[in-house]
Amino acid sequence: MFGQLIVSGLAVGACYALLALAMVIIYKTSEVLNFAQGEMAMVSTFVAFTILDAYHVPFLWAASLTFLFAILLGIFFEIVFLRQAKDPTVLGLIIITLGFEMILMGFAGWKWGPDQRSFPFPVSNVETYDIGGLLISKINFWTIVISVVLMFILFLFFRYTKLGIAMRATQQNPLAARVMGIRTKWILSFTWAISSIVGAAAGMLIAALGVLDPPMMMDPLLKGFASGVLGGMTSLPGTAVGGAILGIIENLFGGYISLAFKSVVAFAIIVLVLCIKPSGLLAKHYVKKV
Amino acid sequence: MATDGILKVKNIETLYGLIMAIRGVSLEVQEGQIVCILGANGAGKTTILKTIMGLLEDQPDKGTIEFMGKRIDGKDAEEIVHLGISYVPEGREVFPELSVEENLKMGAYTRKDPKGVKEDYNRVISHFPILAERKSQWAGTLSGGEQQMLAIGRALMARPKLLMLDEPSLGLSPILVHEIFRIIKTINGEGTTILLVEQNAKMALKISDYGFVLENGRIVAANTPKILLEDEDVKEFYLGIRSEESVKGYQRWKRKKRWR
Amino acid sequence: MIKRVSVFLCVAILSTFLLSTQSSAQKVRGVTDTEILIGQWGPQTGPAAPWGAVARGTDLLVKIINEEGGIHGRKFKYFLRDDSYQPAKTKAIAKEFVEQIGVFAVVGGVGVACGMTARDYLMENKVPWCGPVTGVYEWITPIQKYLFAIYPLYDDEAFNLTGYLHEKLGYKKIAMFYQNDDYGKQGVMGVERYLLKKKISLVAKVSAEVTDRDLSTHALKLKNSGAEAVIMWTMPTHAALILAETAKIGFKPQWATSNTLSDSALMMQITKGLWAGMINSFFGELPDSNHPLMVKYREWHKKLAPQERWGVFYYAGIIFAEPFFEGVRRAGRNLTPETWISAMETLKNWQGIGPPISYSKPNHPMDRQGGKHVFYGKVKPDGNIQRLTDWMQITK
Repeated sequence: MFGQLIVSGLAVGACYALLALAMVIIYKTSEVLNFAQGEMAMVSTFVAFTILDAYHVPFLWAASLTFLFAILLGIFFEIVFLRQAKDPTVLGLIIITLGFEMILMGFAGWKWGPDQRSFPFPVSNVETYDIGGLLISKINFWTIVISVVLMFILFLFFRYTKLGIAMRATQQNPLAARVMGIRTKWILSFTWAISSIVGAAAGMLIAALGVLDPPMMMDPLLKGFASGVLGGMTSLPGTAVGGAILGIIENLFGGYISLAFKSVVAFAIIVLVLCIKPSGLLAKHYVKKV
Repeated sequence: MATDGILKVKNIETLYGLIMAIRGVSLEVQEGQIVCILGANGAGKTTILKTIMGLLEDQPDKGTIEFMGKRIDGKDAEEIVHLGISYVPEGREVFPELSVEENLKMGAYTRKDPKGVKEDYNRVISHFPILAERKSQWAGTLSGGEQQMLAIGRALMARPKLLMLDEPSLGLSPILVHEIFRIIKTINGEGTTILLVEQNAKMALKISDYGFVLENGRIVAANTPKILLEDEDVKEFYLGIRSEESVKGYQRWKRKKRWR
Repeated sequence: MIKRVSVFLCVAILSTFLLSTQSSAQKVRGVTDTEILIGQWGPQTGPAAPWGAVARGTDLLVKIINEEGGIHGRKFKYFLRDDSYQPAKTKAIAKEFVEQIGVFAVVGGVGVACGMTARDYLMENKVPWCGPVTGVYEWITPIQKYLFAIYPLYDDEAFNLTGYLHEKLGYKKIAMFYQNDDYGKQGVMGVERYLLKKKISLVAKVSAEVTDRDLSTHALKLKNSGAEAVIMWTMPTHAALILAETAKIGFKPQWATSNTLSDSALMMQITKGLWAGMINSFFGELPDSNHPLMVKYREWHKKLAPQERWGVFYYAGIIFAEPFFEGVRRAGRNLTPETWISAMETLKNWQGIGPPISYSKPNHPMDRQGGKHVFYGKVKPDGNIQRLTDWMQITK
């Protein structure tokens, strides 16, 4: 039972981590908590569903088109909503994301209806692999693999590409970035695009693990947020680890202590982390000397 | 003064909201020179540099800026960097959570000639050997002097024709100030024109070829360092040398500046 | 002088008020010579939106009756309001129904918590309410003169379903998977009541929060209990999740569930076929039934609302409204809340497409509990239902 709990905790934690990464990417750039993240992912997932359902194209094609849609959605939101804010405060921008979340929720309800659907994922959610006596379902296995690969790509992107470094530079010092000739507004749109892609990937995995319906991201988004807080909201590896830890803690708590309070663990963790170590587990955040 | 200056600023007026920070400033920088702008806090020195750099939206409100014969007022920072102006902002403004190497890489953001970038990287390292030692350290963990060196090095990575420095001596120990100014002189010697904004008038005038004095958004004096250093007002207000000592020490309040 | 004038004005104003209330009291709220106004709330958006189909199903029945010429020369005007399953909104909607629209009655209404915020208000204002769309005790205790419940009680349903599994099918190790709220808990109550009677206990009792999306731990607990049969009392989403999770770890008990999950077409789709084999209770005819009323409704559905899926939740909207219209029919042309109530109390084993309905004068809570029957079916691999029993009385 212990092994099973760890494995399924890792799988769900990987999804939390992806969502958390999507949030953290935005948070690092603009200190905005994007509450529309979940719904952006949900709408992207519905787009994938529609493509798969209507045109029966191979899954990878549908996923690529969905990522393209996610990019457009992210840029659209940044340019059409956030950039228009006059004298924006962080709080004001957060409220705009809340508004966008409601618009998307309403849109999804209108366009695709409230019924649950099963998401046609190429990996069975019932069959299992037997790894040394430990049963791991194919979907859990692939969820973990895909998440880890995505995180690794993100890590490489931010660490080694000129654009990735420029994004980090813009996050840390927008004025200096402009002085370097970096188009910071463009970078901001691009940040939203990347975040939206990561969210869409999380959305498709979460729909594949469960079912697809408009409110499907409510719970995962909160858990993702908790993972982000656990990781300090600024460190990408911290966030990834935070997601995994949260998934595992949740499952162990549910398995050995109390199922009824399993969902509360995430919130307890948010409160605990904020009280004890607000910078998160792995963050070595540089505090600007004034 | 010759008329083929690399940078020509004519009658610019810059607004911060409703406040006019620059009130009709004209200045010219000759190629290959070091030119300094002196002035007290709030005189508008930084605003001039930011206006030139295109960092203030819709500014200058009036006037023109020409760089190498091209109008650059109204262009955005990205283009201006590309044309060959680099700016070292006041207070260093390094990227604190990027490594020293990454900071330098960002300096060459607009460039597409990897070979040239590599050359410039080596040149920067030769000026500031300490940066090579600290290459993979976060810039935020460097000392103030090292950060200043990094900021200058980063600006050089764009291979600028004109390097604008905003208060490079701010917050540094006298020894480091000397070191920085020595390097500025060396950089200039390698062919980079320099526009320097300073409160430390003595040091600035020592290395400059020409100087402007700015007060309340206006140029009040412009001349060679030699002449400026002899100027009574510059002496008293910027170099801290008083011509007559008063017993009670309130003389500086009584004396009027002639240029007003 | 001024004093006298002001007294006169006060009297004049007051008497106007009195007169106006008196004259309106002679009319019946929501009933005119040609029209009867009725209302219903139901989630059209938000997590519970699939259940909102009920409210649209009622709309179909209203249209059918109007197409057929109305009842006693009056046609119906139906007001559907979206409360997103949020009780605060439901309360506002109830106020709108009474104070602004002025409805004669409320029909249906999804949600226990939602309905509870409106119940006392509607009762104080003497608004007849027929068929809240949940089977809980709250509608009949304390007994309400104006409130007629239809939905079979979850408690009795669970009690009876457990009995069916234990006595007819011989399962001894039974586990329960339920949603941690009023709906799920009344299911647990019935299951435990039955097992207590037989002096056996549940081998596992596993609950999920409404917002939970990861049920892997829940599945492991169920598996480790070694249960032969698991009764589930949850939302469709959780039903799908738990079936997938248990299948992953190779746990395949006999599942059984409440009629709230009897939309087999939907359930087959979202569980990718894992729903097959489920023992389900039903409180209405099956979707493809050839019951004459079902045939008739299906034809109207094709004509009037072809965009709607003919699912169980959708035509449940008809089930909860049928007895209301029967009451209006029996009350005659002189329709008031009182005449309607007397007419409803004459229903004895009256049946539309739902369970047989009976009401009596309100002496005992069960006199206001109309539906007391369900039947059982087993989901076939193709998603159709094999009917296992006839209507069985579950509430005495």
